[in-house]
Amino acid sequence: MSGFIKSTKEENQIVIIETDGYLNNEGGEAISTICYEKMNEGKNKFLINMAGTKVVNSIGVSILIEIIEKLQEVDGKIGYYNLAPIVSKTFNIMGLTKYSTVFATEEEAVSGL
Amino acid sequence: MNKQFNINELQLKYLELETLLDITNELSSFEHVSVLLQEILIKSCAVLNASSGMILMQDSNSDLFQIEAEFNIDVDALRGVIFNKKRGFFNEVNQHRKAIHLQIETDPFLSKTKCTYGLIAPLLDKKDLVGVIVLFDKESRLGISAFEESDTNMLSAIATQAGVAYNNIKLIENIKEAKTFNDNVMQSIVTGVFTTNLMGEINHVNRAAASIINLDREKVIGNHYEYVFESNEIINELISKCETALATISESQIQIDCNGKTTSVNISVSPLLNDQNEPIGSVVAMEDLSNLDKLKSTFKKYVSKQIVDQLLENDDMLNLGGQEQEATILFSDIRGFTSMSETMPPNEVVETLNEYFNLMIEIIFKYNGTLDKIIGDALMVIYGAPNSTDKDTENAVLTAIEMQEKLIEFNQQRIIHSKLPITIGIGINRGRVISGNIGSRQQMNFTVIGDSVNLASRLCSAAKADEIIVSDTVWKHVKTNKLFKGRKLNPIKVKGKAKPIEIREILYQRPSFNYEVAYGMIESFLINNLPKEYTYHSIHHIRDVVEQSERIAKKEKINKEDIADLKLAAWLHDVGYIWEPARHEARGAEYATVVLNAMDFPAQKINRITGMIMATKIPQSPKNLLEQIICDADLDYLGREDYKANSTLLLEELRLKKEISELEWLKIQDQFLTKHVYFTKTSNSTRNTQKAKVLANIKTQLKK
Repeated sequence: MSGFIKSTKEENQIVIIETDGYLNNEGGEAISTICYEKMNEGKNKFLINMAGTKVVNSIGVSILIEIIEKLQEVDGKIGYYNLAPIVSKTFNIMGLTKYSTVFATEEEAVSGL
Repeated sequence: MNKQFNINELQLKYLELETLLDITNELSSFEHVSVLLQEILIKSCAVLNASSGMILMQDSNSDLFQIEAEFNIDVDALRGVIFNKKRGFFNEVNQHRKAIHLQIETDPFLSKTKCTYGLIAPLLDKKDLVGVIVLFDKESRLGISAFEESDTNMLSAIATQAGVAYNNIKLIENIKEAKTFNDNVMQSIVTGVFTTNLMGEINHVNRAAASIINLDREKVIGNHYEYVFESNEIINELISKCETALATISESQIQIDCNGKTTSVNISVSPLLNDQNEPIGSVVAMEDLSNLDKLKSTFKKYVSKQIVDQLLENDDMLNLGGQEQEATILFSDIRGFTSMSETMPPNEVVETLNEYFNLMIEIIFKYNGTLDKIIGDALMVIYGAPNSTDKDTENAVLTAIEMQEKLIEFNQQRIIHSKLPITIGIGINRGRVISGNIGSRQQMNFTVIGDSVNLASRLCSAAKADEIIVSDTVWKHVKTNKLFKGRKLNPIKVKGKAKPIEIREILYQRPSFNYEVAYGMIESFLINNLPKEYTYHSIHHIRDVVEQSERIAKKEKINKEDIADLKLAAWLHDVGYIWEPARHEARGAEYATVVLNAMDFPAQKINRITGMIMATKIPQSPKNLLEQIICDADLDYLGREDYKANSTLLLEELRLKKEISELEWLKIQDQFLTKHVYFTKTSNSTRNTQKAKVLANIKTQLKK
């Protein structure tokens, strides 16, 4: 597990990934690696707990978009919760929220995804 | 890849603009520089896709820059790097005054980092470079790359905004710091200060002012001064005068009523002006003179009252910078005090030193000496600094003589109280010294230093117990005064001087044994120390024996000198009861030997005194007339009207040891009186009749 990925767990067939740090190229790659592995295992729902991520750049966002594209091919979904305001704003500007969902809490995310 | 999901340039520009707007909006909301810098860095990295970054700010006291914010960088690679303004990228970025690309590989500061590309922008305070923001390695999906021209413009824009925000925060910090500093100064000064505004309302009161006027600051602030000082018309008048005249008005040593407490103060009221020189209120300064009194009293522990008063009247007398001048230095030291103190409990050591110092310092001040130091049991005293007179050296010698003389009396008291006497040696020198306030900012003491001081100390070491040794320089200054007698001693070799030093011993009169003083001291000792439970062997009995001894001696035509000795023995004959009642005569004789020797009582007469004391032991065994007299005086009451009262006290005392019945007591008295004979003609002629009556009375009672 990379330093950026703090933990992964599964709940109700949803893979929950907890991140910590800069969601940039490296951080995005770390998320995509786990997602693709789990997709190969048949999982198609992913939640990212971003409580530990206060900064994101456009490269990190573009990787998330790549993941969304892959998930669309398998009728999958990805969502995020515990977003810092600046991260939430960036997701909005970059158009990410049109194709994935931002939740306030884990409970809401697990039940709403 | 589905085109609908591509991030287009427009979105990125939108993000950049939003970020710049965020920075602009948020910059003014930060109160602390460190938080501001961290926020700028994070946003810069995010918006420009930098993999990491840092902000360096110049240290306020040097040309060095420190990392004040860092994001995602390898701190270990930068550990130990000295960001010196004179080296590396600082010059270039300062010249360009906008963001520039960095060649990391060849950069003297950053070459150890694993980064490849860098972008740096200056943070400016007006024209001065105060910091730089450095971003590393622009990220893309293909890996890292150099920053683009548009990134340069963006970072320049961010840095400009950051510079403005940084300067604003620093300005606010500086204002806060200045305000805190002013507040701390105002609160810490002992002068009471309060200010009024144009309306006459008090708007600032420091702690000292609140304390002087004896009111809480909260109750004063916001109120008009006339209301606050309604019972102190003089303060109101002074403020009013100042407001009218726009000039400083002062009044000294006025009594003000401070919420029921009267305080003496000096007051000064000055107009408070703005930068246009227009009045905006008044500032009132109050000096609490009770503090000055305390200062005076503290100062007087070290220098004489006269010097304190002179110094307070004339500030120029205190040359704070130090000066070379002529001074006389006296050192005194207790001989053998260390070994003596080892035999004493700690509280007695302190008590002894305090008693001794109190006595000595009083003499020092009497002769206008300045007590420079107390070093253990030694004293260093200066004459002629800070202020000099033509009597300085004479005063030093007079001090030394009086110290030795007073010590004799002091020791007599100690001896009487079975305490070890103290002896001192004194050394005095006169010469050039450097005087001034010497020490650190925290603690500064007025003192003198130099060879002359060292020599005075060495003369003190050379002086034996009871001696006063002075240098030739001192002797030359005082020899014309007939009060002083000097005895030339062999020159002494001292450390640091090639030639032996000419010295003299100052002679002084050691007082001869004074009977009256001795009687007084012994009586006082007996009063304080005789066990209270001894109802018969009390101070009353001893006084009676002294009185009867003198009476009998006069009748027996004894000369005055012998009567004086007889009375001395009478005072001491029962002193042994203090320590050992069973053998009190022997114990008293031992005590008398020690005390009388120490009091310079003629040695050849000490046996006469102890002989008289021992003669009183029952059965009495006098070997000469004086001994007969003291024996008769000791039992004089046997033939007196007050026999009954005395015998009752004796019985009470004897019953402390064992129970004695009335009958037993009658038998004891009968036996004792029957055997007893007076030795002197005087007592036989004056006391036998009454003694016979007493005995007859006892026998009568026994028959019953």
